[in-house]
Amino acid sequence: MARAYGRFPPPYKGVCVKVDVCIIGSGAGGSPIAYELSNAGFSVLVLEKGKNFTEKDFSKDELAVSRRELFTPSLQEEQHVINQKFKDGTIERYEGAEYNWNFWNGSMVGGSSNLMSGYFHRMKPDDFRLLSVYGAIEGANIVDWPLSYGELEPYYKKVEKIIGVSGVVARHKFAEPRSSPEFPFSALEVNAATKWFDKACSKLGFHSIQTPRAVLPYDALGRSGCSYSNFCGSYGCATGAKGSARAALLQKCSAKIITEAFVYRLESDVKRVKKAHYYDKDMNSHEVEAKIFVVAAQAIETSRLLLNSKNEYFKNGLANNNGQVGKNLIFSGGGSGEGRLRFENLSESEQKELMQAGLFFNRSLQDWYEYNEEGRKLKGGTIDFLFEHANAVSRASREFYNEQGNIIWGDELKNKIFKNFTTSRVLSFEVFNDWLPTDECFVSADEKLKDKYGVNVGVINLWGHPQDLKVGEHLAKEAVKVLEKMGAEEISYSISASPPPNLVAGGCRFGENPKTSVLDKNCKAHELENLYVSDASFMPTGGSVPYTWTIYANAFRVADKLLEILRKA
Amino acid sequence: MILNARRSFLKSSFLSIGILVTLRGELFGAVSPLETLSLVQNDLFPFAGELGVNAPAYLGIALNHSRIRDTDKIFLRNGVQWLNEEALETYQSIYSKLSSSQRQSILQRISQKKWGERWINAILSYTMEAIFSDRVYGVNPKDAGQKWLGHTAGFPRPTKAFV
Ligand SMILES: Cc1cc2nc3c(=O)[nH]c(=O)nc-3n(C[C@H](O)[C@H](O)[C@H](O)COP(=O)(O)OP(=O)(O)OC[C@H]3O[C@@H](n4cnc5c(N)ncnc54)[C@H](O)[C@@H]3O)c2cc1C
Ligand code: SF4
Repeated sequence: MARAYGRFPPPYKGVCVKVDVCIIGSGAGGSPIAYELSNAGFSVLVLEKGKNFTEKDFSKDELAVSRRELFTPSLQEEQHVINQKFKDGTIERYEGAEYNWNFWNGSMVGGSSNLMSGYFHRMKPDDFRLLSVYGAIEGANIVDWPLSYGELEPYYKKVEKIIGVSGVVARHKFAEPRSSPEFPFSALEVNAATKWFDKACSKLGFHSIQTPRAVLPYDALGRSGCSYSNFCGSYGCATGAKGSARAALLQKCSAKIITEAFVYRLESDVKRVKKAHYYDKDMNSHEVEAKIFVVAAQAIETSRLLLNSKNEYFKNGLANNNGQVGKNLIFSGGGSGEGRLRFENLSESEQKELMQAGLFFNRSLQDWYEYNEEGRKLKGGTIDFLFEHANAVSRASREFYNEQGNIIWGDELKNKIFKNFTTSRVLSFEVFNDWLPTDECFVSADEKLKDKYGVNVGVINLWGHPQDLKVGEHLAKEAVKVLEKMGAEEISYSISASPPPNLVAGGCRFGENPKTSVLDKNCKAHELENLYVSDASFMPTGGSVPYTWTIYANAFRVADKLLEILRKA
Repeated sequence: MILNARRSFLKSSFLSIGILVTLRGELFGAVSPLETLSLVQNDLFPFAGELGVNAPAYLGIALNHSRIRDTDKIFLRNGVQWLNEEALETYQSIYSKLSSSQRQSILQRISQKKWGERWINAILSYTMEAIFSDRVYGVNPKDAGQKWLGHTAGFPRPTKAFV
């Protein structure tokens, strides 16, 4: 049974709470720390700016979730500024509210992990030593991690067991070493169309991988198994099968969570963070004292909080005397593509199989995780294949234009919608490759623009290295071959430097050199004795996979370090 | 407080106050935004009505929604004015007084303009939202859109509307 969330203690104005550990942000980066430390008997307080939703609150209301963005702040109240740098060197400033450019992902207990699709891949050993293995690239700040795959491997395994990862271990040339032969949970059910995919891959000599998912196929870990609810990504999970930080961790520990608590400043002296200051929903300010502070507000917001926490010892922002906070922001590089599988090319039984709702596609390719071009070894990436989201409004809306690109309506539109919904299905793919860290992609705080709390908003300075596009193109072209072999029609893809807001990392990279990194190997700020960052901000490079398995694993690793410290103290 | 006051003004008056339409600087008359938008919705996708979906009522919900930006709402209202100006220029009559084929030709004309294409797109999008809305929104009581396409919505279904 999930435990109720405690309020700890009633946050009256001016009351100062004292705890062992104060965590800012309750998502994938913060929750493993809350889980491990509270289960070990330490007092842990999580400050979360969003509300608390549980399984019973999660319905599949497309209008609320996907059209009206129920789970993210209103851009009129909280926004980002985006400074986009173009090829010719010009920079265009966009204020998120005006341009409807949204970088929020999930403000709620458990953060965006509630809404993820849970496609889970580990990083590969070479991802930890990108510089040594693939060499420097001009204009990119590539470094090796101060950590090896071998050191993180036990934590990847821990995530499999505690968060719940299901699948079949793939044995292919870029498969990463594992200390356990199989996943603890068997693979989810998939649509029969995956057979056609596997066949196409085998004809092409590609290795089809059954994508591991952070989804329980059956009741386990005190949570219900997947009900194949047909709407997974972007939606909260009503069964608890999805390995969100809330369902898998926070509901199973005694960490106290204060919701609607927006942390606006960390107060420090020259050595230690003393207090976290937060506003409740009525704009009353409160403070928390702790032995250890862990920031996990998701990359961008973590950097913003540090930058906005200037004081006499840290004039450029907390832990930022070397000017590195916010630098080397990265996203998942790549893009996406699709093709349409049409009834005309299928037998009657195949048509029925294709239209089975709810079942997953769950197929990936990693044949080009590394490839050669003009004699040089290049880092490639991962391609995940999945059915187009079942959201009806967005599917109908994509039919608004005819082949000439003109908007259509009336019977022409009605017939197009009917035909495409009832006699075809779109198979999509998503390409994940490195978004190389550069000087031009970073977080800063806006000088003037403030959010509803009166706090300077974060600025996302955007720039994608040309190499990212080159690799993305290479991967997309390989994905297209599979769609062609499967007989898909209307195949298209788009690789671009426009970032996926939900797959973001960096800004507080870890490293051994305190001059060029913000955090040390254990994700403690070089400059402060008790400040840790445990979301994806620590990543100096991102690997060519979605980040969340690595975020969880690293946060469990940091939790172990904190346990050692707290036990000694 | 200025912002809040403006918001409530927008909410109460947005669709009820008439829009003054002018032709070459001269005042021609007033049109009701709600009536015009309902008519355009029906001209663009009459099938919604045939399905028993009350798309105009849904538009009313959407235009009072806290999560739809004022600029988007104002754009829809401005579009009513521009549409009527186009109708006056072409047929010397407001949109609602035109024959069905004349209205279609006006829609064709505005669809070639940037604002017109965006405006039609927005109205169609709200119409699709109505057609695929859950019963809790009250405009699609028989899941007619879902049945039309054999579309399986996600579950569990919502128990209350988010407005
Ligand atoms: C639709 C969608 C699909 C996704 N699919 C996948 C996938 O298939 N595979 C994958 O690996 N990843 C996926 N992700 C990404 C995944 O959700 C994130 O990588 C992960 O949740 C990031 O963890 P985090 O702790 O950094 O941030 P979050 O989980 O977002 O948690 C951060 C929390 O901090 C809170 N917060 C922020 N600022 C403050 C503040 N100042 N004070 C207090 N609280 C604050 C936020 O409200 C939030 O709850 C997906 C994400 C989305 C949105
Ligand atoms: S029940 Fe399964 S398909 Fe539905 S949201 Fe949960 S994990 Fe995703």
